Parts: sequence; structure tokens; C-alpha cells
Amino acid sequence: MRLFRGQARIISVVVISAAALSFAAFIGRRALTVKPELPDEIKESDLTFQGRRLRGFVLGGDGLLADWYWMQSLQYIGGKLVAYEGDINLDDLRPLKPRLLYQYLENATDLDPHFYAAYAYGAVVLPAINNMQAIALIKKGIANNPDKWRFYQYLGYIYWRLGDYRAASEAYSRGAEIPDAPAFMLEMSAAMKSRGGERETARAIYRQLYENAEDAKARENALLRLYEIDANEQLEAVNAALTERFRKSGKCPSGRSALIELLRTINLPPRNEIKINAAGMPVDPTGVAFQFDQLLCRMAIAPESKIPKPLE
Amino acid sequence: MPSNNNFTESLRIVGIIAKNTFREAIRDRILYNLVIFALLITASAILLGELTNGQEARTIVNLGTNAILLFGVIIAIFVGVGLVSKEIEKRTVYSIFSKPVGRGQFVIGKYLGLCLTLLVNTAVMATGVCLALAYVGGTQLILPSLGAVALIYLELIIITAVAILFSSFSTATLSALFTFLIFVIGHLSASLRDLGAALASDFARYLLDFVYYLLPNLAIFSFRTEAANGYIASAALLSGALAYAIAYSIAMLAISIAIFSRRNFK
Repeated sequence: MRLFRGQARIISVVVISAAALSFAAFIGRRALTVKPELPDEIKESDLTFQGRRLRGFVLGGDGLLADWYWMQSLQYIGGKLVAYEGDINLDDLRPLKPRLLYQYLENATDLDPHFYAAYAYGAVVLPAINNMQAIALIKKGIANNPDKWRFYQYLGYIYWRLGDYRAASEAYSRGAEIPDAPAFMLEMSAAMKSRGGERETARAIYRQLYENAEDAKARENALLRLYEIDANEQLEAVNAALTERFRKSGKCPSGRSALIELLRTINLPPRNEIKINAAGMPVDPTGVAFQFDQLLCRMAIAPESKIPKPLE
Repeated sequence: MPSNNNFTESLRIVGIIAKNTFREAIRDRILYNLVIFALLITASAILLGELTNGQEARTIVNLGTNAILLFGVIIAIFVGVGLVSKEIEKRTVYSIFSKPVGRGQFVIGKYLGLCLTLLVNTAVMATGVCLALAYVGGTQLILPSLGAVALIYLELIIITAVAILFSSFSTATLSALFTFLIFVIGHLSASLRDLGAALASDFARYLLDFVYYLLPNLAIFSFRTEAANGYIASAALLSGALAYAIAYSIAMLAISIAIFSRRNFK
């Protein structure tokens, strides 16, 4: 009888706690739904303190706090990208309103002035938000790490993106002066002066960024840019051929065989020839079929392709 | 010749007390829990590393070394303040001093025993960090991390000396609080000097300078951020920090012995 009573007590405790926890979970979920959603300006205004003010006040754990800011910056952009409805252009992330990214990276690099990954991330992502912030971050990196040529490479890259080839050339040239800088820094300095806006220069820049990237994300980003350059070169040639065909015959090639026949007439460098998939459709360098608009008689990168889309 | 014998005998007594303190400390389950918790935090850095876009090794060093410091300080404070007070509370101090054991020998022996315990704990936690680094392929950061851990250990022996000093004249709770505050202020002591330099009053400047030199300058032992960036602690830094830690600990122990010698247990 006593044993039975003991078991009954245990069962009642389990039942009561399970019921109470379920009720708490239900109420908790309800409470979250009635909580007012704060506008972005208020939600993101909690980052008022600056990393440099915290330096020396975190009991020597500056690096750990820098890591926290670094992870926050990654999560911040990642979260915004996931939450954003619609297509986003990697060259222009302003629609995401990522106004805290610079502050996160600024804090991370204030707390750990040698935090290379944070600078590198800023150099790649910030130009799509605010070029001046990107330049300021990299210049800070140069000031804190004057013996690292890679910062000059990033500075040159940002200036090149801005179309300021003189400043880009100077950045590469200054980086080339650093003892262990590779020979391509000097080559890039010369290339910027003579043919800054050319496709081959862009290809060389991204190839170097790809080969020298220290993390997988930066490497992937550089590779996509290389694919973008290849795809644009292919599309330029294909669309020129389509226009010419339309001009001569008054109609756009219809059907796959006619399209492939046209592609055979196009002269592209051997390393950048257009590939055809199993369905007989031309594909971009990532393997996704190009989108063919019969009405406009134009070919374009498909929306599902990972290749960055051109600015509207 | 007799003085030489006395010295050897003193060392023997100190050694026995240290050995017993170490044995007693490693029997404490809380100690194991703390070390296991620190190791778990280090292991969690591997998972956290997934969020850092390829910076796993750096995160392991930062999280691991900070965990070693935090848990080391907790052990140093809570075991340190209990070393003397526990013996008084349990009245075992009477049986110890009924034997030919000096109060100085007692304090030094207790201190060295805890330092040995901390050395073992720190070594276990450091091994955890090294294994985690090896797991994620960050072996290039093992040597820098060991430099940072060595400096952390030196910081811990200072904290232990401070904990013993406070426990020689105060209650265990207050001693733990005071020692923790010294740990915090010790990391901020450079700011006191900066504040003094910024003040117009000469008296305030001298006073703050005095406080700066009186408090332990624990910033000397902070090498965790540097280690996460691959910097290796130089021999000059390590030897300078070792000399500072020994000198400061001697000063703290000397005061502790002086206070403890005058204490009446009746």
C-alpha cells in the first residue's frame, strides 16, 4: 500500500509538472505574440557604446569580446539576408538596412586591432553598403597592422570597385613596398594605371582574392565574382550574336537546335566557352541554365543562379 | 650547521603541509566540477566556431583561455580563502600548532599546496584547449596558447596569495569578495595611473601612483588576445611576469604571516 502511495505521488508530481510546463510554454508563446514589435530604428539603437571605450575594462578578455562582435556581425547580415523578402543584389545590400554592421566590425577591431578576419569581411561586404565605411575600416587595419600587405590589397580592391583607379594603383603600390608582398601587387598597381576598367583586370583581382582568401566564405565570394565575369563575357558575346541574327533575319532563333547552332558561331576564349547541359540548354559557369527571353531575343543569368546579378 | 638543519627541517614541514593541502584540494568534488565545466566551455567553442566563418581556432583560444582564467580565479579565491579559515573553524589548527609547526611554515605550505593544485587544474584545462585546437586543425595556435596559459597561471598564484592575505584577518565571505575586487581592480590599475596623470593635484597623483604600485598589476599577465592572433609570449615577458608574480606573492605572504602570527585562536 505504501509502495503504491509512493508511485502515485511520483506520477502526480510528473503530471502536475508536465501540465504546468505545458501551460507555461503556451503562455510564453502568447506573451511573445502580444509584445509590440519595435521599429528597426529603436530595435537597433542598443549599440551605443564603442569598443575602444571598453578596451582595458574587460579584464583582459578583449579578444573574446571582439569574437562576440565578429559573430554578431556575421549573424546580423545572415539574419537580414534570410529575413529579406525578394531578390537581393550582392553589390548593393542597402535594402537590408544593415546600419549596425560597421559598428560591430569597428568594435571587433577596436577590441582586437589585429583581427584580420573582421577587416577582411568588412572589405568585402561593407562596399555594398557604404564605401566610405569600408575604406575607413581598412585604413584602420593598415594603421594597426602596417606590415600586412593584404590590407593594401583590400584597399586597392575597394578603390577599384569605386572606379578610382589612381587611388587603387597607389594602394597596390604601397602594399608592394612591404617586404613579403607578392609580385602581383606591383603588377596590379601597373594594371590599375593602364587598364583599370578592363575585364582582365577584374579577373586578376578576384583570382588573387580567391587564391589568398583565408576563409571559405571569402573564397566562395571571390569565386562567384569570377563566375560573374565569365558569365558576363559569355552573355555579351551571345547577345551580340542574337542581335545580329535578329537584325539579319528579322526573327529570333527558336528552338534549342537553332540556339546551339548560333552558339557554335560565337568566338570566346577557350577557357570560357559556353557549356551545354544534358537538356541541351547553355549553362552559366555555376551549371545553371541561362534564361532565354524569346520576345526580347536576349539571354540572361537565371534568377536561381548563385551568380551575382547586375545592378538594375 | 644547526641553522642549516633548521632550514632543511622547515622546508620539510612546508613540503608536508603543501602535500596535504594538495591532497585535500584534489579530493574536493567542486574542483572537478569546475574543471569539467571549463573543459565543456572549451569544447563548446568548437560548435561556436561554426558561427565564426572559419575562425574556429581563434574562438577556441579566446574562449578557452578566458575560461581557464575565470575558473582558475574561482578556484584560487574559494579554495584560497578557505585554506586558513577552514582549519580555524574545524579547530584542526590546534592540533597542527601543538606540533613543531611554525605559523609561517603553515601559511607558506598551504599556499604552495594550492599553487600545485592550480598548476594541475590549469594543465588539465590547457590540455583541453590544445586538444580542441588540434581537432579543428588550429595547431599553429597551440604554442601561443601555452604562453597565455603560463601567464594565467602566474596571475592565479598572485590571486591565491591575495586570498590568503585577506583570509588571515577576515571572514571567508569578505575575503572572497575582497580578493575578487582586487582581481578586477588589478586589471584596471593602469587606469588609476592615467587618472592620476590627468589630475592637477600633486597629492592625488602621488596617492594614485601609490595605489597603482600597491595593487597587483594583472594587465602584465593578459596575453589571451595576442595568443588568439598567433603571437608567442617572449622569454623576456614570461621571465618578467614570473619575477613580478614571485615578488608580489612574497610580499603578500609576508604580510599574511605577520598578521597570522599575531592571531589569537583562543
